Amino acid sequence: MGLITKSRIKSPWIVHYSCGGCNGCDIEILACLTPLYDVERFGILNMGNPKHADILTVTGPVNHRNYRVLKNLYEQMPDPKVVLAIGACACTGGVFHNCYNVLGGIDKVIPVDVYIPGCAPRPETIIDGVIMALKKLNEKGSKAE
Amino acid sequence: MTAETLVGVLVLLPFIVGGLSFLIRSEGLRKPFVIAFSLVMIIASLWLFLEVYNYGTLVSNPSPVWEYLIFAVDCLLIGYFLYVGITNKHYLIILLAAFQSVSFPLISLPFHKQVKPVLYIDLLSVIMCLVISLIGSLIVVFALDYMRNHEVHHRVNPSRQHIFFFFLISFLGAMNGLVFANSLFWLFLFWEITTLCCYHLIRHDLTEEALGASLRALWMNLAGAVALIIGIGLSLHNFDTVVIQELISSGVVGPALLLTLALFCFTGFTKAAQVPWQGWLLGAMVAPTPVSALLHSSTMVKAGVYLVLRLAPGFVETQLSAAIAIFGAFVFMVTSVLAIGQSNAKRVLAYSTIANLGLIICCAGINTGLAIAAAMVLIVFHAISKGLLFLVVGTIEQQVGSRDIEDMEGLITKLPVLSGIALVGMISMLFLPFGVVFGKWAGIQAASEPVTTWFFLIVAMLVMGSASTLVYYAKWMGRLISCAPDSSGSSEVKAPLAYGTLMALAVLAVGLSFLVVPLVVNVIDPAAVAVGYEEGFKVVGTALATPWGAFPVWPLFVAVVLALVIPALVVRLKPAEVSAVYMCGVNVDERHLVFRSAVDGHVQVETGGTYWTQWFDELSLNKWINAAGIVLLAVLFVGVVL
Amino acid sequence: MNGSDILMALAALALAPLIGGILRGLDRILTARMQGRIGPPLWQPFYDFIKLCAKSKKASHRGPVVWAWAYLVLTVTAWLLFVLRQDLLILLFILAFAGASLALGAFSVRSPYAHFGAYRELLQMLAYEPILLLAAVAIFLKTGSFMVGDVLGFEQPLLISLPLTLVAVLIALGIKMRKSPFDIAASEHAHQELVRGVYTEYSGPTLALIELTHWYELVLVLGIISLFWVIPLWVGIIIALSCYFLEILIDNITARLRWSWMLTVGWSLGVGLILLNIVIVEFFGLGLRL
Repeated sequence: MGLITKSRIKSPWIVHYSCGGCNGCDIEILACLTPLYDVERFGILNMGNPKHADILTVTGPVNHRNYRVLKNLYEQMPDPKVVLAIGACACTGGVFHNCYNVLGGIDKVIPVDVYIPGCAPRPETIIDGVIMALKKLNEKGSKAE
Repeated sequence: MTAETLVGVLVLLPFIVGGLSFLIRSEGLRKPFVIAFSLVMIIASLWLFLEVYNYGTLVSNPSPVWEYLIFAVDCLLIGYFLYVGITNKHYLIILLAAFQSVSFPLISLPFHKQVKPVLYIDLLSVIMCLVISLIGSLIVVFALDYMRNHEVHHRVNPSRQHIFFFFLISFLGAMNGLVFANSLFWLFLFWEITTLCCYHLIRHDLTEEALGASLRALWMNLAGAVALIIGIGLSLHNFDTVVIQELISSGVVGPALLLTLALFCFTGFTKAAQVPWQGWLLGAMVAPTPVSALLHSSTMVKAGVYLVLRLAPGFVETQLSAAIAIFGAFVFMVTSVLAIGQSNAKRVLAYSTIANLGLIICCAGINTGLAIAAAMVLIVFHAISKGLLFLVVGTIEQQVGSRDIEDMEGLITKLPVLSGIALVGMISMLFLPFGVVFGKWAGIQAASEPVTTWFFLIVAMLVMGSASTLVYYAKWMGRLISCAPDSSGSSEVKAPLAYGTLMALAVLAVGLSFLVVPLVVNVIDPAAVAVGYEEGFKVVGTALATPWGAFPVWPLFVAVVLALVIPALVVRLKPAEVSAVYMCGVNVDERHLVFRSAVDGHVQVETGGTYWTQWFDELSLNKWINAAGIVLLAVLFVGVVL
Repeated sequence: MNGSDILMALAALALAPLIGGILRGLDRILTARMQGRIGPPLWQPFYDFIKLCAKSKKASHRGPVVWAWAYLVLTVTAWLLFVLRQDLLILLFILAFAGASLALGAFSVRSPYAHFGAYRELLQMLAYEPILLLAAVAIFLKTGSFMVGDVLGFEQPLLISLPLTLVAVLIALGIKMRKSPFDIAASEHAHQELVRGVYTEYSGPTLALIELTHWYELVLVLGIISLFWVIPLWVGIIIALSCYFLEILIDNITARLRWSWMLTVGWSLGVGLILLNIVIVEFFGLGLRL
């Protein structure tokens, strides 16, 4: 394993965007930062800025108002980057499916690499999803090189 | 050509040329004439410099006839000031001028001793002369283009440029006379002429603001001149002399001498716009830019610090010296702090000038060889950088229509050349390895030596002022360079003479900083030795060393080139790498600073400067600062008597 | 400058980021432990650095990239001045130039968040610059020289006579290292805050440059602290490391305060302590002997 690959896998920085669900998934993501789960063990940091991040974690269903924001945040992230759809709403629209204002899952707007189902998913599942995303991240990075 | 002729040229030629350019009403004719004059001044000052450098201090005794002429001109000037006071119903001016009109003849008429030497021109004098003639002449050349635009902008018809150039050019002669004079009567004459020129240049635009500012400048400077007359009177009464060199080398340092010197220093403080006299210099910026540049860099205020520096050997290791150092450091600190809260570019520069003059006065008060050398270094480099910055701001004002720092946002894309020069000017004021900061470094090194009991207060005020300086200049630079990817192209109008002058000053600021080792070793140190101090600096390897520190000149230049110049030349972005700034994802597109509002409207992003006015508010701070300044001045005089 | 100096400079150039990075890794582990977490591996800062280097470049325009280079090169210059035993005041002036470059880099982008950070960065400099410069003066008064070389040769430990100065320097150190309660512009830790101040518009390799500069800066500041006990030098290094630990502790038990409070502390307490120290040493002759 090359140094760059190793570094990439060991240092995934996350930016989190909530398209606006019930906040259940958001709370589960924050739970990952607490001493119980302590994701910093894996070098995972929660950044506030897409320009610093490698992984975009999205919760909630994308709608007609916020799809542009989601797209813009995705575009502002430097390559390589991956997207995680966290929770039923982000994956498919969930309980908001077919609402008049909702587009559906976030894959309607940006390419999604890992889907994490659940309402809400448990922190273990989220961490597992991030680890899966790292493989994709490395693939993308190696391809670019 | 003998040295005396050169002195005559440097002092009298400006008055003659000033008079002629008053008569020449055609701009086309005046231009080559003034440029030729500037060249003559620069060459003459360099020549005189070489004469003094090679053959030592020059003394000269013009024919005694001049004494009568000087007396007559002095009386005329005082009469004129009285007239100005009466026509403007300004009672303070009337009072001060009336006092002068009584006391001046009373003092000078009974005095019949032969003054020897009348002119005393040592290295310090020629350094000042070089600063005045070189930078002053460049500013005069700059004014040629500037004033034409100025009159177009302000729709002045018929042209009043001839009056302007008369006073502007005569100013240089008066300043040269002032730094050559050894007789206090001669000094007084030139002192009054600079006051006159300054008064007329400030009121040049004849707006209400300009008239008010000019009257304020007049009364404050007249107050200084009153102290000068009292000082001359005391000197005559106690020592029966009007010769500066005799006064400061008399050897007997008693309260009488110190009181006289304190009065002269007080005069210097008024001219150098030290707290609480800063009002006139801040008001003076209503004048056209070349005037501000001239007043702030090479003339007028430098006369004040020159006088303190000239007298410094007379009060070595006295309480007066310590009091002056504390006063200067105090002014340096408070005006630097005040500048943080200012958004008017000229006002920021004005405070920066007062601060640097305070620093020079502080160095004169510390009064060791190192401190005096630091003061001279500061005089030279501050004149260059500040002259440059004022001219740049004036040019920006003509092209942008504002002198407010807020309106200079992103100027680097609109006026790239001008902003580049402005950045060079500011960097040369603010960072090592450039001359002004080298002077500041030497000043702090000198202040750290416990020569007075209160040295720790002095050095503390110096470092606090130094940190404040960093903040207000960096803030301003930040406004200049702040720009977005969509920035529109350049709209610069490059007037050749004005831009040529700016370039010359920028090259001078950087180039002379690079040559600081030969400058200090060959000129500044000998100048300090010539007035009676030990050498401040010596060369160790490639560094310029003080007794307890070293300034590695060219390694630092290499570092700056590696840090800024090379990245600026090398770093380029591919179009694909350009991205919008972060705006919470609501950017409208990649290249414009526009975001989508809650109702889908497009809103242009505006960024504004921060001035922390709740902390650095001029109005609320001023009364405390002025009160403290008055207290320190009072301490200065009381300390002398005790 | 002779051959051994050049060798030493090269070694310092290479070693400083290594030490700085490890210290940052330690910081993250210690912080995690203080919060009841396990924390990242020691080498985490290096993983972050290499990852950032391998990311694609993105910037608003080339201005911020140029200033980031200036920040790095000038900080390295200050570090080299220290290693080559040059003038402390010059070193601090160059460090101020470097700090201003970081703020100017943020200013050069028209981003509201970056500007917030830049103004706060300048306020931080306003608060700590006088402390560091005055500390250099206090050191001069004891050793008779501003040259690091002469300070290194000074027999008597400075800490004995300048304890208050060290306390003041600790305040400056907290600000310089971006630790609570003085992490006004942006915390050294990756908290989410005003989208991270001056670093907002930096990403990928340029952000890595800034991270590298922080390592140099950290080592330099700790080096200055170790001057307080130079014979034997390992005592000084232990003092510096304990100061670092103290800062991490303070970082974890305090909250961020307002900038006005920082300014007040810097200019009154920081400057006041050093002045008091100078007065005691100069006029009462205390602290002169061991």
